[in-house]
Amino acid sequence: MGIAAEDFLGFLALNWQIALMLVIGLILIYLGIAKKVEPVLLIPIGSGIVLANIPLGGLVESGGAFALLRQAGIDTELFPLLIFIGIGAMIDFGPFLERPYTILLGAAAQFGIFGTFFLAYLFGDGWLGILDFSLKDAASIGMIGSADGPTSIYVSTVFESSYAPAIVVAAYSYMALVPIIQPPIMRLMTTREERLVKMPIKGKKISQRTKIIFPLVTILIVGFLAPKATPLVGFLMFGNLLRESGVVNRLSEAAQNEMANIVTILLGLTVGGMMVASEFLKPETVMIFVIGLIAFSLDTAAGVLLGKLMYMVTGGKVNPLIGAAGISAFPMSARVVHKVGLEENPHNHLLMHAAGANTAGQIASVVAGGAMLMLVPLFS
Amino acid sequence: LLTALWIVLLGMAIIFVVLGLLLGVMILLNRLLKPENKDGS
Repeated sequence: MGIAAEDFLGFLALNWQIALMLVIGLILIYLGIAKKVEPVLLIPIGSGIVLANIPLGGLVESGGAFALLRQAGIDTELFPLLIFIGIGAMIDFGPFLERPYTILLGAAAQFGIFGTFFLAYLFGDGWLGILDFSLKDAASIGMIGSADGPTSIYVSTVFESSYAPAIVVAAYSYMALVPIIQPPIMRLMTTREERLVKMPIKGKKISQRTKIIFPLVTILIVGFLAPKATPLVGFLMFGNLLRESGVVNRLSEAAQNEMANIVTILLGLTVGGMMVASEFLKPETVMIFVIGLIAFSLDTAAGVLLGKLMYMVTGGKVNPLIGAAGISAFPMSARVVHKVGLEENPHNHLLMHAAGANTAGQIASVVAGGAMLMLVPLFS
Repeated sequence: LLTALWIVLLGMAIIFVVLGLLLGVMILLNRLLKPENKDGS
């Protein structure tokens, strides 16, 4: 017959790299189920890794299901954009609109993206040359600091970075670790006096018309000034318009639930399917996880620093802790800030201020992605 | 490496300009559009 056993028995093609990937996939599934770490994403991603790495499975080969999903949803940038409609429909920008100044905290916290980009490029083609990071790879790695999975996927896909899967997994992993990463940095950078600052619970009342106009104004301003961010901000704000318009609840619900859920399953499986041993197991992957941690730390530090500046400028009316919520890991980061504030003073409720900075961070990270997409090709 | 430094500086500048403008517009909108009175009185 001329058929060797290796051609149809998967375990005969098993090697240590494949075995390691299978273990990584199973660990992600375990973390999702047993530890409830981002289960919505880690279970599909972990399953994707396991399925993609089974020898002779054929899912990632040309014509295979994962290869088709990658072409249809990742290479076209469609999945992250569709997810953004769901995210936009889920987010209530009310806390931000009641406290518009929090947008500056969201802006400052994006320094993690650019600081990390600089660091990655320094280790890569920029100077040291230790790692195989081009300018575009470094920009993609920097996007881990956006604390925003879809934006990370979108930018790394547009830049055709081969590290996209590692970047995405690092971004989602650290988002789940925000309660562990942020508090020590927040405490280190603030005095007890600053952490004790009480802020009013209620913000300024805003009209429903403002909430409806907000997504449209955001699309126009961001679209005209940072056009490369238009797909991201456009889909995000379209989802929010569905929510706030009040006349298409059916569509808003569908975007938040059915669509977001279906695309999350497909995105998770596809990202997992991109993590095949031959492409994933490199020293660069380990470094991406190390640099990713730095990205989240820089985000937090930059947000708190601007918070401290606001504390000084306002004569002590702003609690600098809320700056840490400027990253777009929503609503985790706002909750962390609220908790740290409560630990200092059980009567201090920073949640709504932090939620304002947090939702502003969502917009800021999208703008940062657009800025990266605009600037990197100019300098390449 | 100077290239990367330029991208960092320009990137942060773009973010602050875009979001600063958005902040200005939202403050203006908040002043122009007063909250609706829900009880209708």
